[in-house]
Amino acid sequence: MTFFEQQLEQGIFQICYCKNCNNTIWPPKEICHICHNKANWKKSTNFGKIVEFSKKESTYFGLIEIDDGIRVLGNISSVSVPKVGQLVRMNVSFNSKPNYSFIVENN
Amino acid sequence: MSKVAIVGTGQTKFSKDDDNIEKLLFESASNCLQSTNNLDLNNIDGVLVSTNNNSKYLGAILSETMGIQPKISHSIEHLCSSGTNAIISAYAYISSGLSDMVLVSGVESATNPGQVLEWDKSRGILEHPIYWGSMLTKSHKRKFQTTEEELAIVSAKNHKQAIDNPFAYSNEPRTISEVMNSKQITDDLRILDCSRSCSGSSSILLASEEKAKTLSDQPIWITGIGQKTTSASFTKNILEEIESTRIAVNSAYKMAKIEPKNIDVVEVHDAFSVCELMAVSELGITSNEKSGEFIRNLFNTENRMVNPRGGLIGAGHPLGATGISQTIEITNQLQGKANKRQISNATTGLIHNMSAAGTSSSIMVLKN
Repeated sequence: MTFFEQQLEQGIFQICYCKNCNNTIWPPKEICHICHNKANWKKSTNFGKIVEFSKKESTYFGLIEIDDGIRVLGNISSVSVPKVGQLVRMNVSFNSKPNYSFIVENN
Repeated sequence: MSKVAIVGTGQTKFSKDDDNIEKLLFESASNCLQSTNNLDLNNIDGVLVSTNNNSKYLGAILSETMGIQPKISHSIEHLCSSGTNAIISAYAYISSGLSDMVLVSGVESATNPGQVLEWDKSRGILEHPIYWGSMLTKSHKRKFQTTEEELAIVSAKNHKQAIDNPFAYSNEPRTISEVMNSKQITDDLRILDCSRSCSGSSSILLASEEKAKTLSDQPIWITGIGQKTTSASFTKNILEEIESTRIAVNSAYKMAKIEPKNIDVVEVHDAFSVCELMAVSELGITSNEKSGEFIRNLFNTENRMVNPRGGLIGAGHPLGATGISQTIEITNQLQGKANKRQISNATTGLIHNMSAAGTSSSIMVLKN
């Protein structure tokens, strides 16, 4: 498992970035794709905004933008129809693949 | 630099069922070689195989089976656009003088590892293409007021056009109403809005200008090529755009010295209904706002200009073979051999093939 995956397993989303370029590296990699220096890590705020959403059966899912412009796909918990731009809180886990899920704030 | 021509083509029927990829590969390659005049196998000095299958050494295996001992032989994988990537590689070998004649064969089995890009961590557990297809569709509806009926017309048109394609996985007509009432996959996708992973194979023989004249009475020339990869991760896309297509097609138009208005017939990569609307816009044939109306008019007037063989939705999508089948369709159209699918007086055609939610696009312009 990679460091990113190990941290997800513990419920932590680590943002991969380059101290040298101040550049976000997503998806996470060992090296910066600009200067090729070793990548660094910082914890996500675990908040994001809905870019787009849809629904499969009774579950909403969507594209969410979290810290530093990083976008991920995940399921969204909401008692009402979500809105583009709405604030969501992120939970993460790892079980053979990353799992990002979101709860609409002030639901 | 030598000019490069398409001098032979061969296909197998596409199917929803799994099949042996070597059997399919040999069938389409054999059909392709038989379609040429006066072919001496000793003159084929390149054999390329495009596939997402994990089988090894398929270029050499195909060569041995066909009785060819080429100089150049290898496989090419680039997810859904493997086929056009292989043809463009063959073009480069011939135009540079490294090779004179290259057999390009694409093959896939219905269950293949090319449907999911495990590397893309941004997809989380939602790794199946239906999730990005839903995001693109919802976003197109939101930004351009695209209606569910306009999306359904793409599928109804392509199913209707596939009726006259003997290699399509299904020849069943689907009405707009049937598409709109087909099984709901997500709030923004019906099952008939989705292309289907298939088994199938297609092959094409490319030759230098000198060799082409002895092999075909109607060689079709590759006059424009454009390629662009913007990323591998889906989530870096702007949802309403296919930037890679826009960049690639501009290169292809420039190389071919043509404009969108010169295109008589086009094969576009309709992985989902919305992709056809986005593609005709990014190719400069119409605008995003008018793409739904444009496809509706084609459907109402039975104009087969876009995806005459039925596209991926109507014909099926054997990933490694798709780009080659698209190229064969444009070749047939420019040779006047497309039977009931024929566009009258077609002289210029274009192929649009893309991968992984449009993160990479390949374009070719063909002329007769």
